[in-house]
Amino acid sequence: MAAVYKSLSKSAKKVEDTEENDNNTTNGGFRKNKQRVLILSSRGVTYRHRHLLNDLAAMLPHGRKDVKFDSKSKLYQLNELAELYNCNNVMFFEARKGKDLYMWFSKVPNGPTVKFHAQNLHTMEELHFTGNCLKGSRPLLSFDLAFEQEPHYRVIKEVFLQMFGIPQGARKSKPFVDHVMSFSIADGKIWVRNYEVREVEKAKGEKDSEGNDIPEEKSSSKKRKSAPNAELFKDTDVSLVEIGPRFVLTPIIIQEGAFGGPIIYENKRFISPNQVRSELRKAKAGRHNARTEQVKERLGKLETLTAQAKKEKDVLDTRELFA
Amino acid sequence: MPRQSTRTKKPATKAAEPEKVEKVVEEKPQKEQKKRGRKPKQVVEETPVEDKMEVEEEQKEEETTTQTKADEQQPEQQEGAGSDSEEGSDDEEDNDLDLDALDESDSDSEFERDLNEKQSAAGIQANKYQKAAEESSDEEEDEDEIDIDELDVDGEEGEEVKAISKARQTINNKQGLLMALKRFALDTTDKVPFAFHQSIVAKKVTEESIPSIDDDLARELAFMNQALEAARVGRALLRKEGVPFTRPTDYFAETLRSDETMEKVKAKLIEEATAKKASAEARKQRDLKKFGKQVQVAKQQERAKQKRDTLEKINLLKKKRKDGGGPTGANEAEDLFDVAVDNELKGGPGGNNSKKRGRDGKEGGGPNAKRQRKDAKFGFGGKKKYAKSNDAMSSGDVSGFSARKMKSGGDRGRAGGPGGGKPPAKKFKPAPRPGKARRKAGAGKR
Repeated sequence: MAAVYKSLSKSAKKVEDTEENDNNTTNGGFRKNKQRVLILSSRGVTYRHRHLLNDLAAMLPHGRKDVKFDSKSKLYQLNELAELYNCNNVMFFEARKGKDLYMWFSKVPNGPTVKFHAQNLHTMEELHFTGNCLKGSRPLLSFDLAFEQEPHYRVIKEVFLQMFGIPQGARKSKPFVDHVMSFSIADGKIWVRNYEVREVEKAKGEKDSEGNDIPEEKSSSKKRKSAPNAELFKDTDVSLVEIGPRFVLTPIIIQEGAFGGPIIYENKRFISPNQVRSELRKAKAGRHNARTEQVKERLGKLETLTAQAKKEKDVLDTRELFA
Repeated sequence: MPRQSTRTKKPATKAAEPEKVEKVVEEKPQKEQKKRGRKPKQVVEETPVEDKMEVEEEQKEEETTTQTKADEQQPEQQEGAGSDSEEGSDDEEDNDLDLDALDESDSDSEFERDLNEKQSAAGIQANKYQKAAEESSDEEEDEDEIDIDELDVDGEEGEEVKAISKARQTINNKQGLLMALKRFALDTTDKVPFAFHQSIVAKKVTEESIPSIDDDLARELAFMNQALEAARVGRALLRKEGVPFTRPTDYFAETLRSDETMEKVKAKLIEEATAKKASAEARKQRDLKKFGKQVQVAKQQERAKQKRDTLEKINLLKKKRKDGGGPTGANEAEDLFDVAVDNELKGGPGGNNSKKRGRDGKEGGGPNAKRQRKDAKFGFGGKKKYAKSNDAMSSGDVSGFSARKMKSGGDRGRAGGPGGGKPPAKKFKPAPRPGKARRKAGAGKR
């Protein structure tokens, strides 16, 4: 009997729950933002790539760092891995030739996947910036307007939003907002920066010394209130201090699925670093070839000249006359 | 790694070091790239422009070479224009062809089109004078290109066609992208509280405020401005919603960068500051030294001049004397003066002069005091034999004789005995050595 009651009540509860969910979504509600990011790299990453990965992992409290992934061709295996860890995002660092870094950002169960080429990596440690922020505080995500102008940039923006944006109430997140992650598009590349937000007194602040402290305390104490005391805050302004890391991403492709599926965007402006290198080599070889050719030409000229000189023997030449 | 994009980013703040290094490394490859830019263009010339696919191929090639960098292209093209004119019209033609192809090439992204326009504008400016020559050849291409453009513009169907015809290089399935976006996008409209997503889209396109992508400072400033605007807006929104924003001063928790790292940063800053200070100090010192040296040199010159003047004066006087008096009319006073002058010349007013003479050792005035004294003591020049032997003068000299000393029983110090005592004052001339007999007698007494 008890079992029957239990099962009945359970099912009833379930129905209620779903109704509640529906209500939520219909009312003013929204899908709950639940993100977990699996962060891992392939084998063959350099220390720099590794440090960048560590930096990003430190910035994402909803991230799960895993050991290096052994394969570079069977990336679909990452789907299973992510499922294993209950992650719905994968940030995969693929290193090639021990120097080129490709970053895969994927929404795991059903896509999309974005592949970037990462350049100009600078980890937090090597950039001697003075900024710092709480570990696991939620960042403000600042996107360039250009992210709204193209569909592929919109997709990329959404991926960034879900990966770098720490969901509200994430497990290890801190309740304050003290840094901004900015994503800008310039030169067809996405430039990623991370800044600390510092409150500074405005130049014309009337409450000189106290002005800074009071609003902070108020803000923390009067948590869930629509703040009518906005005037209190007005005497502080924000300034930014960079924290790091810095990196630049060139989108290469966007796939519809998670590590698979049709390619729905391909960047034709992207040139693989291999090609760049080979061009460089060719240019160098070209220089050498040109030089050898020049030498050959000169030698040929010399030969003809000497032959000519031999031919033109004057009868009246002293050497001929007095031979 | 340094190639393809890697324009260095110099932080707007102090911490510019890591990138600086990179920049140095980079300069070389860039030059090389400029050179190589010309090669593939020749390929373009060789292939007849007929087939659509080939056109595409060319475009791709061009893009690999010319489109690599927005920033590099301009200098490259300008350089190309300069050097091409030397090489001949063939190359110029390619150059122009490329640009036109770029200009006309389809562009599914506006961004790219903008870029192409920029490029072609620059290129056209550079090559304006060559344009007329190869217009005929351009037109052929134009037709082909226009066809493609029309296909593109057709809309979704055209898009499909394009996607197929362009095979690999221009996949941009906008519908697919939007569908994908719809599938997984979070709601970030005004309906949801801002604290839900905390994302802010800027009101401006950041790239527009970047004059040149290579200008590190301007670029970073543009990025920072974007972030700053976002921070302001975000803070206002969060406060409106009553979400705590600033961390209270008494809230301590683990930070993103460890204390150790921050310590390092601080140490680095301090080191930098001290280094700067030290270098400034050193420079100051150097300047001072330089100035001091100038003063010294001036002083020396002045002295030399003074000396020269006096010598001249003296010579003049001498001459006057010779001319005027001659040996017969020599006065006593003039004689004295002459001696004085000679002395002057010998001794030399300047220390330098005397030293020189001293080294030569030929002048009778003697080199220096020590040498003189030694010479006096041990003799210098002249016969040394019999120098110490008695002669009439020495034997007749009784200045060393003192009756008092004789009476007091002999000078203990003088006898060379061990109990010497005080050496006699310098004033007194040492008594000459007693004779042999007397010495023997003295020894016997003891």
